Amino acid sequence: MTDTHTRDTQWLRYMVLHQEREDKPHQHAGTVHAPDAEMALLNARDVFVRRPECVSLWVVRADLIFTCTQEELALHPDWIESLQPSGNPVEKYYFFAKLTQKGQFTHIGEVEAQNPTHALKIALQAYPDTHGFAWWVFPVKAVLKSTPDDIAVMFGPAAVKDFRDQANFHALSVLRKLMRKQEVEESHES
Amino acid sequence: MYGATVEPIEDIRTDAEKLAGFEARIARGEKIEPGDWMPDEYRRQLIRMISQHAHSEVVGMLPEGAFITRAPNLRRKLILIAKVQDEAGHGQYLYHAAETLGATREEMLDALLSGKAKYSSIFNYPTLSWADMGAIGWLVDGAAILNQTMLARCSYGPYARAMVRICAEENFHRRQGQDIVITLALGTPEQKAMMQDSINRWWWPTLMMFGPHDTDSSNSAVLIRWGIKTKTNDELRQAFVDQTAPELMALGLTIPDPDLHYDAATEHWHFGEINWDEFWNVVKGNGPCNAERMTARRQAHEDGLWVREAMAAYTEKYQS
Ligand SMILES: [Fe+2]
Ligand SMILES: [Fe+2]
Ligand SMILES: [Fe+2]
Repeated sequence: MTDTHTRDTQWLRYMVLHQEREDKPHQHAGTVHAPDAEMALLNARDVFVRRPECVSLWVVRADLIFTCTQEELALHPDWIESLQPSGNPVEKYYFFAKLTQKGQFTHIGEVEAQNPTHALKIALQAYPDTHGFAWWVFPVKAVLKSTPDDIAVMFGPAAVKDFRDQANFHALSVLRKLMRKQEVEESHES
Repeated sequence: MYGATVEPIEDIRTDAEKLAGFEARIARGEKIEPGDWMPDEYRRQLIRMISQHAHSEVVGMLPEGAFITRAPNLRRKLILIAKVQDEAGHGQYLYHAAETLGATREEMLDALLSGKAKYSSIFNYPTLSWADMGAIGWLVDGAAILNQTMLARCSYGPYARAMVRICAEENFHRRQGQDIVITLALGTPEQKAMMQDSINRWWWPTLMMFGPHDTDSSNSAVLIRWGIKTKTNDELRQAFVDQTAPELMALGLTIPDPDLHYDAATEHWHFGEINWDEFWNVVKGNGPCNAERMTARRQAHEDGLWVREAMAAYTEKYQS
């Protein structure tokens, strides 16, 4: 083997959105690369579900997400007002927002719009209490989702691997006990 | 605004205004997100750090991977597989964070496989016994946790979020390492001797992981100014020694540093000078395993080529 160049492409980037529990919204986990959405979903499972907190995974091509930050909006306060529907057919968009400085992008809701910027405008008006610091909109139909049937097969295996949880090791209590014993011995010596 | 299908929003501020605004945001503790304005140097430093960090996670699988087939029992084997798998995941999280800054996965992989990119010097040392799985988990992952806990607070949103996820998983790595060390240190005389030998070999390379002294670290000032790092190499190294030295000693193990002692005046553990010649020698590619690690990475990439080709062929067949 002489040529170290990767030679092949790493394919498209897919954003991965995961749901930890039924009663929690989907949140951004990271991205994977894959040649299509189906394999992106499988890769997402391998990369992001090594621990049991997952009931649903979505993948969506990163280049189909329209993103905007608070800083960008603040630079042009009238930009958002100037946005007009484009005359395209109306479709559903997901709306995600980063609600706190340290937070992760989180699913807020859906809107109907004719294009991504129009969707952002409508979403910011529709969810005035959840403005946050940065936003994503993307077409609902662009998302590939795991199904309820996938839960056992895709996410079940992680559930039995309890050794991935640090709480199942007793190292800390053993070390504390030994260190206390040492302190007692040292105080006797002096 | 990546993935934008519309005209980007025009930024009419002067460069000085942009920089002032950026530094004010960092001073307020805000997170910088992809799409926000950032100085080129901030972007450059982050791509350098995050990609090096990603490479370290990926190469870091190799020293421990070598012992998966030699684990002493099934449970230890499952634990080690899970740990090595986590490191693969950490590499993925980090490549992703670098991609949000405009670096491509192809560029980063090329840099690693061509030997142009750097990764943590620690992974160029050999694993010689099962006890090394304990020493790596406790010392190497323990040192990484200190660094990564700091980076979880860094000013760049995607890097900070990757770190939060990684830190949670690293705690399992350290615990399983401690569990091995405790078992061997409190075991038979042979087991204890094997553990001691391992600590003797890993102690100094672990202290080197934190990097050069602050006075010799060219990037330190700018990284701290822009909230990428909030602690210096020497501060993190001291925290590591303060935490780890007394715990190892409580197990009856010794630390291979004649100068090591507790200084009641400073309330810190004083330790001897690091052999920086050894450190730079390993960084420059002449460590005991540099060549072996690169060969293994290139081989793994070549061996995976048919899988990537098969996936591409599948997509072509069923999507067209
Ligand atoms: Fe690590
Ligand atoms: Fe890691
Ligand atoms: Fe680790």
